[in-house]
Amino acid sequence: MNAAVAAPARSPAAQDRAPVIEIDNVVTRFGPQTVHDGVTFDVQRGTLVALIGGSGTGKSVLLREVIGLHRPTAGRIRLLGTDVWAATEEELNLTKRRFGMMFQDGALFSSLSVAQNVAVPLSEHAHVPGDLLQSLINLRLLQSGLTAEAGRKMPSELSGGMRKRAAIARALALEPEILFLDEPTSGLDPTTARAFDAMIRSLVDDLGITVFLVTHDLDTLLTVVDRIIVLAGGKVLTDGPPAEVVHYDDPWIRSYFAVRTMVS
Amino acid sequence: MSEAAVPSAHLVATADGAVLQLAGSWRTASLAAAESALAAIAWPSSLRVDASQVQALDSAGALLLATHLQRANIPASALDDAGLADGESRILEQVRSHLDAVTAGLRPQREGLLEHIGRSTLTIWLLIVGHLNFLGMTLAFLAQALVSPRRLRLRELTAQLEQVCLNAIPVVALVTLLIGVVFAYLLGLQAEQYGASIFVVDGVGIGTTREFGPIIVAIIVAGRSGAAFTAQLGSMRLNEETDAISTLGLSPMNVLVLPRVLALMVALPLLVFIGNVMALTGAMFVAGTMLEITPTTFLARLQDNLALKHVYVGLAKAPVFALFIAIIGCRMGMTVARDTRALGIATTSTVVQSIVSVILLDAAFAVLFQHLDI
Repeated sequence: MNAAVAAPARSPAAQDRAPVIEIDNVVTRFGPQTVHDGVTFDVQRGTLVALIGGSGTGKSVLLREVIGLHRPTAGRIRLLGTDVWAATEEELNLTKRRFGMMFQDGALFSSLSVAQNVAVPLSEHAHVPGDLLQSLINLRLLQSGLTAEAGRKMPSELSGGMRKRAAIARALALEPEILFLDEPTSGLDPTTARAFDAMIRSLVDDLGITVFLVTHDLDTLLTVVDRIIVLAGGKVLTDGPPAEVVHYDDPWIRSYFAVRTMVS
Repeated sequence: MSEAAVPSAHLVATADGAVLQLAGSWRTASLAAAESALAAIAWPSSLRVDASQVQALDSAGALLLATHLQRANIPASALDDAGLADGESRILEQVRSHLDAVTAGLRPQREGLLEHIGRSTLTIWLLIVGHLNFLGMTLAFLAQALVSPRRLRLRELTAQLEQVCLNAIPVVALVTLLIGVVFAYLLGLQAEQYGASIFVVDGVGIGTTREFGPIIVAIIVAGRSGAAFTAQLGSMRLNEETDAISTLGLSPMNVLVLPRVLALMVALPLLVFIGNVMALTGAMFVAGTMLEITPTTFLARLQDNLALKHVYVGLAKAPVFALFIAIIGCRMGMTVARDTRALGIATTSTVVQSIVSVILLDAAFAVLFQHLDI
């Protein structure tokens, strides 16, 4: 009953429909080698999108360009409405608080415990009341599938899967609108990897976070992802729901998904 | 988001009982304001939450609300039908399912003074025992290598010799030259007052060859090569290269440790000899310019009064210093924990341990030679 009353008070629906990531004609060259030759796509809010492509197609480079770590040769990238490579330092810093990034091997600060790692963005960017801080850290750990006790451990004491979860907990600290994941399930055993998929899906469904990931994991692609973007030859080869992409007529895509078809 | 409204909470009495009316943006960015709004509430024994005016709610905001309700002993049913949008009620639901685990008392353990002393003592004890064990292992491998010299990796040994001996000559020569200059100058200032300038030669001769030469050179080498051993072996270990060596059926002790230990034990006496010559050269220069002792007189006096045993004592100490520096450097590298911070700590620790052990060994030698009348 209250939903109808509440609607006008909320942010306009139009804003929800605007893309959170807009990549427009991005070109990347390393010396004579062209990695991206006009990559264009948008990502809508509240979706789980995967970027795939053969090795050397510049998936990770594109990810680094989107989060402001590597400047593209040409083209425009807008993240939550901010032009990443034309924004002032200040605008960019504000945007940086609104997304989180999980690096492939976690990139946890090795001199801090897991809880302190999660506390870094919280104490730098948010004024969290003292007694709530510990509970909030614990909540982030639980949301990423760890236990509150894991917070006391040092990164060197964690297994690969826990390390990735701790990295997600840190990326989630400020409750970002977008979460970027670089190979979230690589190096994990299948059981852990599937639990990871479920966790990522719940971030999208329960917390309304947009997740953008680079992956090679066919199970992730075929079970939890909403949309697959395929990079090939410096451009977007195809883009759509997994069911469509799998049947796209291209030799690389066919061989990529062939393993799965053989099994099933 | 910057344009979002400040979160607010008001308690309103209605016919059906108390209602907590929430409004504004309950997000991580505005947690402090939300906290003070909730802190001002005088909690009744039961109430209903009306969140229909809430513009945004994230899990941090939901956590704040849920902890306050829990602390005020409000049953969870107060949040039923709070008028949140679908997505936000799911957030609230998820936070509530984690609530007990989140707020379970997790105070960090504090370490008492006694516990700290005990832990540090145990760490040092284990370190020393570990070093001794490693020393024994190295000597065992060394014995094997002496029995069958084919095990000795000559190529690695020469590469290490170049690193720790040849490349160390410039810095060792420069530092010892300056030490000789300073030593002769200070000694000269005193001796001149008694007209005993010529004794500067005796003093510098014994002082540098017996004590300062070996100590100074050993300290330079500890900082230079000992630290390098730890850094090299440590990063190889982090990179699992040492594991790869064992997997290939080779022994890291043979391939990595033995060449380094042997190279340093050969290199240090040579460097000490160079250091002695340079220190005496420096002293000779100061004696010539300040005390009017010509190089000829200086060398003649040195030959008459510097007993060769002092030089031998100094050179004999060098391989022992080298053994300890190399053992500490290699073991700290081979046992470094698998994270990047540990490598830095281990390297620093190597330098500190090597310098301390060199000075302790020197003191032990002093006592030993005293009793042997050397």
